[in-house]
Amino acid sequence: MTTLTVPARSEEDATPRPVPWRRMAWVTWRQHRFALGGVVVFLGALSVLLWLAGRQVYSTHAAAVAACQSASSLTCPNAIVAFNGTNGFLSNGFILQAVPPLIGAFVGAPVLARELETGTFRYAWTQGFSRWRWTLAKLVPLAIALAVAAGLFSLLLDWYYQPYFDAANQNLSLEYPTPFFPGLFDLRGIGFAAWTVTAFAIGALAGLLIRRVVPAIAATLVAYAGLSFAAGGFLRQHYIAPVITSSLNVPGSAWIIGQWWTKGGTFAFAGGPPDSLLTRFCPNGPSGPVGPFGKSKPVALAQCLTPHGYTQWTSYQPDSRFWPFQWIEGGWLLVLSALLIAATVWLIRRRAA
Amino acid sequence: MTMNVIEASGLGKRYGGTWALRNCTLAIPAGHVAALVGPNGAGKSTLLNLATGLAAPSAGGITVLGGRPAGSPAALDGIAFVAQDTPLYKNLSVADMLHVTRNLNRHFDQPYARARLDELGIPLKRKAGKLSGGQQAQLALTLALGRRPRLLVLDEPVAMLDPIARHDFMATVMTAMAADGVSVVLSSHVLAELERVADYLIVLSRGQVQMAGEVDDLLASHRMLTGPAAEVDSYAGRPAVHARRGDAQAHLLVRAAPDDPVPPGWEAHPVGLEELILTYLREPGAAALPGPSRGRGTQPSEVAK
Amino acid sequence: MSIDKGVSPEAASSGRAAGASPIEFRLDAASGVPTYLQLVHQVEHALRLGFLEPGDQLPKVRDVVAALAINPNTVLKAYKELETKGLAAGRPGQGTFIQATLSQVTLPELTGLHRALLGWLADAGAAGLDEDGMVALFTSALRDFRGDRSHYRRSGHASRSGQADRGGTASGETEGVA
Repeated sequence: MTTLTVPARSEEDATPRPVPWRRMAWVTWRQHRFALGGVVVFLGALSVLLWLAGRQVYSTHAAAVAACQSASSLTCPNAIVAFNGTNGFLSNGFILQAVPPLIGAFVGAPVLARELETGTFRYAWTQGFSRWRWTLAKLVPLAIALAVAAGLFSLLLDWYYQPYFDAANQNLSLEYPTPFFPGLFDLRGIGFAAWTVTAFAIGALAGLLIRRVVPAIAATLVAYAGLSFAAGGFLRQHYIAPVITSSLNVPGSAWIIGQWWTKGGTFAFAGGPPDSLLTRFCPNGPSGPVGPFGKSKPVALAQCLTPHGYTQWTSYQPDSRFWPFQWIEGGWLLVLSALLIAATVWLIRRRAA
Repeated sequence: MTMNVIEASGLGKRYGGTWALRNCTLAIPAGHVAALVGPNGAGKSTLLNLATGLAAPSAGGITVLGGRPAGSPAALDGIAFVAQDTPLYKNLSVADMLHVTRNLNRHFDQPYARARLDELGIPLKRKAGKLSGGQQAQLALTLALGRRPRLLVLDEPVAMLDPIARHDFMATVMTAMAADGVSVVLSSHVLAELERVADYLIVLSRGQVQMAGEVDDLLASHRMLTGPAAEVDSYAGRPAVHARRGDAQAHLLVRAAPDDPVPPGWEAHPVGLEELILTYLREPGAAALPGPSRGRGTQPSEVAK
Repeated sequence: MSIDKGVSPEAASSGRAAGASPIEFRLDAASGVPTYLQLVHQVEHALRLGFLEPGDQLPKVRDVVAALAINPNTVLKAYKELETKGLAAGRPGQGTFIQATLSQVTLPELTGLHRALLGWLADAGAAGLDEDGMVALFTSALRDFRGDRSHYRRSGHASRSGQADRGGTASGETEGVA
């Protein structure tokens, strides 16, 4: 039986040159422009709100500082209350903590999960652009775009929280959280951008493994929450060995990690004194443990116990270590993101069907 | 240039505990329309996924386009795949789909693709998801053919289309074959239309190849014998694929060369393609596989190991 | 065998439209007759009826395939069959062209054959065969005749004027059974 002759082709077909990377740039943009646009709109709206709220904070702060110049000012207490109460829901930063995971999950998870869920991977991964390059050419530019957007937004966050970290606040009884306060630490500096990129990388991997968009988003949020709690609750305090001092004048901006008492060189108790000691030595004094955050009030307890040979020790991180900690945390987050993206690219080479 | 567009040897694919495809050895020559038929779950989509590199073999190997490993960049370059349900990015416009395909491939004949879409009356600005089923299939096919592949792989391409859309789709495929020498491998449920379209056949059943070969050879090497039912049991000499018997009369589908003599008292008829396929599918134990060099004798054999 | 482009000089001189074939193919999907045979028969029928003359171009493979959605190899097979029968010839780069006509049977012969057939039909009817039976018997005899032409050929019954012989390929053809 006669068949059609197949036309001869040149030998370069046997080992083709790869399609250039820049071709994918347009594809990535076109496929994800709504996601990126959504992020811009979202952050833009938040920026407007923050800016408006920030102006209030700045004005009450200036008023409080002015009112408390003189020690016996009558308007000072009201001004302090006004400042401390301005936009209280933002002052601990917890609401804004939701922004990086939301952005990362909603942009990162669908990149792979939607292709797998709708079946378009059968088109995308049988084209001439090999699939690991396709994945890399999508994830890296998107991660960079998110990092830039988040970084710009975090400049606004820095501006917003600036009044809270004004050096004058310590002396004026104004709100002065330690820079390491968990709700605030990763909103400032490079933490916000780093956590956003990490959320994106988690989302991408989750999307590949779970293959469905909505479950992948949910899994990303859960994984991010776990990581964030682990970082804030356990890891962060160990980045640099804390300073240990027996001085009672620990600065209010410091991050108190632990407090304990010794007597004559041996460990006596940690945190608050046992009731027996209290009744013996501090019948009228304050009691209760000192928490790791917030202002410590060592003076009163020390007055009772020190004369009896007790020494208080405090381990803390001074606020001068804020930026080193930012670099450390940003650094390992970046490494983690790179590893997650690399894992995603590596896993995609395993066949998908 | 007789190369094999798909060559598999001992190919198998396992999902979890079950083998979707097993012991698959094939050599599909170029320049043909090879039809992959079989019931649901027989392994057709699995085989096509392996050939296009979407899945990796659990056993054995598969090469395409004359020895290129399936899924390698060289293979991806020369194969265009239109999967079941013709996947497209529903939110992108037709023009955008053209653009995406152009960017994802080394060669894309954009003028050809535009001209075809024009002929078909598919508007460039409309979103792909808003096209009719037939138009979506034609778009997916245009994108595939625009890459000027050497092999076009279609997974149940016309299952969801109405008769006119189906006809137009196949006409496009056949024209591409006539004009550009594209080889075609397609999986199909619709046996009745196969004879018009396929000249190479692979029958899969329960993950194994039951029958493979050129349609002309397969038809020439089978015949239907009609004769006395009483003689069926004592009938020796030819491997019978299937027997259907009434009280007095029986039909036997046997494998025989065209010039084999017909036993006395029996009548021989040629078998149609649909009847042949259905009979084999009903006899899971039967197999008709090509030997090292089938065909009319003197063709050089390029079949694999 | 080649994929065709262009038009034959004879067709141009005979006044046919350039590049167009005089005939169009159609397909009867339900007939049970293999596709390529249907094409062959349609060409022969067109020759008989005068729609095709020597020098006319047969439809281009690509056009047939676009209209009927059939495998181009099938069209090539049909054209090759016509070549084997001597009815057509392919010109590389141009197409496939009719080369000869079917053997003509003269009118007196036709009339005589027709009368003989009527007689046979009357005999068959008298013996008790109905129409389907007559067709079955005829088809069976035709098959036997095809299989063993030399045995049945009467001497001196050669075809006229050196035209193509109506030879059939015995084992290559597959026809559906009625």
